Amino acid sequence: MTWISKSVTGLGLLLLTHACYSAHEHSALHSTSTASLSSMASHTAVASTVASLPIDISIETVVAVFVICLGLVLGTPELRPIQWRVWAGKIEREGEKGFTNSDGNVDKDYVGNPFRMLESRPGFIDIRKQRKEFAEWVREGGGTAGASKS
Amino acid sequence: MLTERELQINPIVQESVLHNTKTLTTLHNLTASLFGVGAGILGLESYLGFVFYLIFSLITSALVYAFRVRPGIVKEYFRSSIELWTGGLFEGLSGFVLTWTLFYGLVRA
Repeated sequence: MTWISKSVTGLGLLLLTHACYSAHEHSALHSTSTASLSSMASHTAVASTVASLPIDISIETVVAVFVICLGLVLGTPELRPIQWRVWAGKIEREGEKGFTNSDGNVDKDYVGNPFRMLESRPGFIDIRKQRKEFAEWVREGGGTAGASKS
Repeated sequence: MLTERELQINPIVQESVLHNTKTLTTLHNLTASLFGVGAGILGLESYLGFVFYLIFSLITSALVYAFRVRPGIVKEYFRSSIELWTGGLFEGLSGFVLTWTLFYGLVRA
């Protein structure tokens, strides 16, 4: 996605530069021609020094602005859902993958699972079950490991 | 506007609101100076320039609506749809006038 936005923006900037240069050249040419004309005939009105641009330059400018605009919009980071349930659901589903920017890094303000505190509350650890599991591990795996070592 | 009761039922994530607003404001600031370049090249004067800015800002918002907010669910990303359509409209105005006058002067030197 990111190379698309960059290339579109680059194309638009190229068009805009060309339009700018063309407009500048047009105004320069026009002013010199009117200056020579007014020197030839002193009575001609020099009111219209700012002539209207040729239609192709106008169209090129508008198209260039639109194309750059499109490229910039495509380059913006993804918006985030603001409702808590949608946001938390997205984190649960996608994890860090949903909050990476275009370079592949995780965003700096990514806070992680908002229910992290609830999931690792020490008060809810079933200590008896863990002791039983540990005893079983000692009886089976731990015992053989010790026997093989000695 | 959301009432307190609705906020209690559907809580809102402040970080996401900030992130969305910041994204929109950055985009509008960038594009506003760009529109200034366009208006300067076209040589627009007085009200026409501001109309140009208004139209292209709305086009930018429409592009955001089409590409970033999936159509139909503005409420998921912004508190109200006004925020999407007019957010960043006035922040970008000063940058617009700056580049507008600059390029108007440059092209018609």
